Amino acid sequence: MSPILSGLLIFMALYMIIDIFVKQNSFGLWASEIKNTLFGNENEFLDPISKASFLEFIHTEIFFIMMILLTLSTVFIRLSNKLPYSLVLVNLTMLTALSSLFSLGIAYFYSPSFINIYVTTYLIWHITSFYMIIYSLWKLNFAKSI
Amino acid sequence: MQKAYKYSILYFLLFSILLLISSVLLFEEKIGFSVSGVLDYYLGNEEKFITAKSTAGVLKIILPHVFVFALFVMVVLHFLIFTKHKHTQKMKWLIYVSFFIAFGELFSPLLILYGLEFFAYIKLVSFVLFELLFLYLFWLLFESIIFST
Repeated sequence: MSPILSGLLIFMALYMIIDIFVKQNSFGLWASEIKNTLFGNENEFLDPISKASFLEFIHTEIFFIMMILLTLSTVFIRLSNKLPYSLVLVNLTMLTALSSLFSLGIAYFYSPSFINIYVTTYLIWHITSFYMIIYSLWKLNFAKSI
Repeated sequence: MQKAYKYSILYFLLFSILLLISSVLLFEEKIGFSVSGVLDYYLGNEEKFITAKSTAGVLKIILPHVFVFALFVMVVLHFLIFTKHKHTQKMKWLIYVSFFIAFGELFSPLLILYGLEFFAYIKLVSFVLFELLFLYLFWLLFESIIFST
C-alpha cells in the first residue's frame, strides 16, 4: 500500500506546485493581478472576466479542491494518529480552503476588498496541505512505525 | 467511524453544497430555468443572437462531466454505506435514482440537438431533481454523522 499512497501524495504535491504557477500566469497570484483579472484595467486595456467564465472557474476549483482535500485529509488522518495537532491542521486547511472560495465569490459579486482574504487563505491552505503531504510521505517511507 | 474522519466528511459536505450552489448559478447564467431558455441555448436563437450548439461542442461538455458525475455520486453514496442506511431498500433506490437522474441531466442535450425538443423538459427536471436529491443525500449523511453514537 505504501508505494501507491506515496505515488498519490507525490502527484498531489505536484498539483499544489503547478496550481500556483498556473494561477500566477492566468488568474493572478497577488491581489493587484487578481483585481485586474476580475474587474479589468482600462489603463492596461484589460477586459473584465465575464460572469459565466468566473462561475465556470470557481465551479471547477471547488470540485478539484474538495476531491484533493478529502483524499489528502483521510490519508493524513490515518498516518498522523499520534500527532497532537493533526486535527488542528486538517481543520485549518479545510477552513482556509473554504474561506478562499467564499472570499473569491464575495470579492467578485460584492466587495473587491475580499481579494486580500482570498490571497491569504489561498496561500495558507496550500502551505498546510503541502506540509500534510510531506509529513505523510515521511511517515510512509522513513518513519520506524506507522 | 473515527472522529477525525467525520470532520473530513463534514467538510466534504460543505464543499459539495458550494459545488451545487455554483452549478445552479452557472445554469441560471448560461441557460436559464425555462424551457425556452434551454431550447435557445442548444438550438440557438437569431433574435437573441445565440448560436446553436454543435454535437461536438455538447460532447466536449459531456466528456469531463460523465467521469465527474460518476465519481461524485459514488463518493457521496459510498459514505452512506458506513451509516445506518446500509442494506436498506431506500439506499438501493437512492443509488439507482441518482445514476438515472445524472444520466438524464447529461445526455438530454444531445437529444434536443437531434430535434426532440421535449427533452428540454427532461434537462430542466433532471437538473432540479439532481440538486434536490443530493441535498437530501447530504442531509442523510450529515444526520448520520452528527447523531450517530
